[in-house]
Amino acid sequence: MFSEISRARFRRFRAIKRAWWAFIILTIAFILSLFSEEIANDHPLLLFYHGSYYFPTCCFYPATDFGGRYKTEADYIALRDDPAFHAAGGWMILPPIPSGPQHPYLDMSGNPPSPPSKDHWLGTDGSGRDVLARLIYGFRVGMLFSLALTAISTVAGVVIGAIQGYAGGRLDLSAQRLIEIWNALPFLYVVILLGAIYGQGFGILLLVTSLFQWIALSYYIRGEFYKLREQPYVLASRALGASHGRILFLQMLPNAMTPVITFLPFTLVAGISLLTALDFLGFGLPPPTPSWGELLDEGLQYLTAPWLAGSSVAALFITLMLATMIGEGIRDALDPKSLTKLR
Amino acid sequence: MTEPLLDVRDLTIEFATERGLFEAVKHVSFTVSKGETLAIVGESGSGKSVTALALTSLLPVPPARYRSGAILWKGENVLAMNERRLRSIRGGQMAYIFQEPSTSLNPVFTIRNQIAEAIHLHRPDVTDIDAEVVRWLDIVGIVNSAQRMNDYPHQLSGGMQQRAMIAMALSCQPDLLVADEPTTALDVTIQAQIMDQLRELKARFGMSIILITHNFGIIGGIADRVAVMFRGKIVEYGSTAEVLRNPQHPYTRALIDCIPKPGARVRRLATIDHDALAESGL
Repeated sequence: MFSEISRARFRRFRAIKRAWWAFIILTIAFILSLFSEEIANDHPLLLFYHGSYYFPTCCFYPATDFGGRYKTEADYIALRDDPAFHAAGGWMILPPIPSGPQHPYLDMSGNPPSPPSKDHWLGTDGSGRDVLARLIYGFRVGMLFSLALTAISTVAGVVIGAIQGYAGGRLDLSAQRLIEIWNALPFLYVVILLGAIYGQGFGILLLVTSLFQWIALSYYIRGEFYKLREQPYVLASRALGASHGRILFLQMLPNAMTPVITFLPFTLVAGISLLTALDFLGFGLPPPTPSWGELLDEGLQYLTAPWLAGSSVAALFITLMLATMIGEGIRDALDPKSLTKLR
Repeated sequence: MTEPLLDVRDLTIEFATERGLFEAVKHVSFTVSKGETLAIVGESGSGKSVTALALTSLLPVPPARYRSGAILWKGENVLAMNERRLRSIRGGQMAYIFQEPSTSLNPVFTIRNQIAEAIHLHRPDVTDIDAEVVRWLDIVGIVNSAQRMNDYPHQLSGGMQQRAMIAMALSCQPDLLVADEPTTALDVTIQAQIMDQLRELKARFGMSIILITHNFGIIGGIADRVAVMFRGKIVEYGSTAEVLRNPQHPYTRALIDCIPKPGARVRRLATIDHDALAESGL
């Protein structure tokens, strides 16, 4: 399925130990984060009560099911310490990190934020919520946002850049002027404005950032297609009766994949830092969405609680470093000059 | 007399350049009948490749412009066709072979992929594409074709690449093959092989060929008629034997003199003296 060249490139990528391990670590971390509910949650994975099994991480059970008084969701942490529950033969298995990202733990000694302890490994934030749980959920939100942003902006950048470069002439010139005008809009103001009109949210934020993120890649692809369209095999393909769309996407695009793939990890990095920055400023995802930028902001508010800023900065640093290592590895693996003497 | 396959009438093509309009092809007319081979001979810049590309309207417009004339393919004017109609003619009825096989093949695809693409475009009824690819590679003389078809262009020699290009062109079963300097980029020995191959294929499939070259030496055994182009005009047009035996135009004579003759002792290779030609009013 993959060509010999692609396989050789993949082998070269694997040979770059740093990049390969960064890729494995980041991939595993992302896959694990998709199951955040089973890793860090104040709902038990499995609960046994009165002869039946319950799975509170995926289903809603009212408190009345477990001898409570109200039809609201059961408070499993209170239930765990409730002697009546144990007396009725009930038991539960909690996730490895028994704290949810939204649950406020206000029964700690002193006022929140409280420092790291046995129950809360990275302490709690200003609202008494577990920092580690919020880091994990924040990682998932950041990665999902960034991956979606990367996918959308890559497709848009490739399609627009390719058409511009292939068509050339007036279409290219006028499109280029429009892009320049669009690019001159202050990004942050557009985010604030649209956030104010349509309300902050994942979808609108993704849309607005995508509208700006594709431009850099489209410049590269446009240049690449300007070069490629003069290749004799493009003329040969036309002489064979292939349509413009076929030539563009089936004949030329495979020859222009190097900038696309090289850009991918760096777009991912840009997406994560962008979301963090916007959350830090308060223009990102609406509270109480767990996010690193919001945690960073709290770290600034509570300068006496270094675990807030420290954990979010460390998480951000490690993630960005891993993604950058992958990016460097891909760039080196795709570099055709890596084996020549001319460097 | 039957209607010719291709009838080019009074074709004039100009290019808009920074220094004004440049007429690359001036009032060119010629015909190609079924099974006939026409050689268009001329030096670099004489307009022969532009003429070849114009046959299926492949020139970029602008800067190119078809100022006058018509290209009648089976009685239908190519220059008046829409894009869809043109696409069915390109490759399917008129196929091209270009000068540089190494760059005319897409470097990221195997030759199997590229020949399959040609078959896919023009012969949608073919079901076993691999067998068809192997068949055509065998026809153009690529040995061990079932293995070689999975090679990338860079893994083949120049002669093999050109054979693959010919296989690609022939696999659409065209009526006319336009070979634009098919041997110029190849070694002399490979040139002879490729020309033999074309001659054999022409006899086998009865197709017409337009052979574009600057080398009078290679057309002898294959071309029925010759058109000599010079500065955008056809200066001599006739049967190959007649033109070679009795060239009328000084430019044709000069071109023929450029062919190295075995056994002849010459101090200098003959060249074309453009100043002398210009003085004689051409």
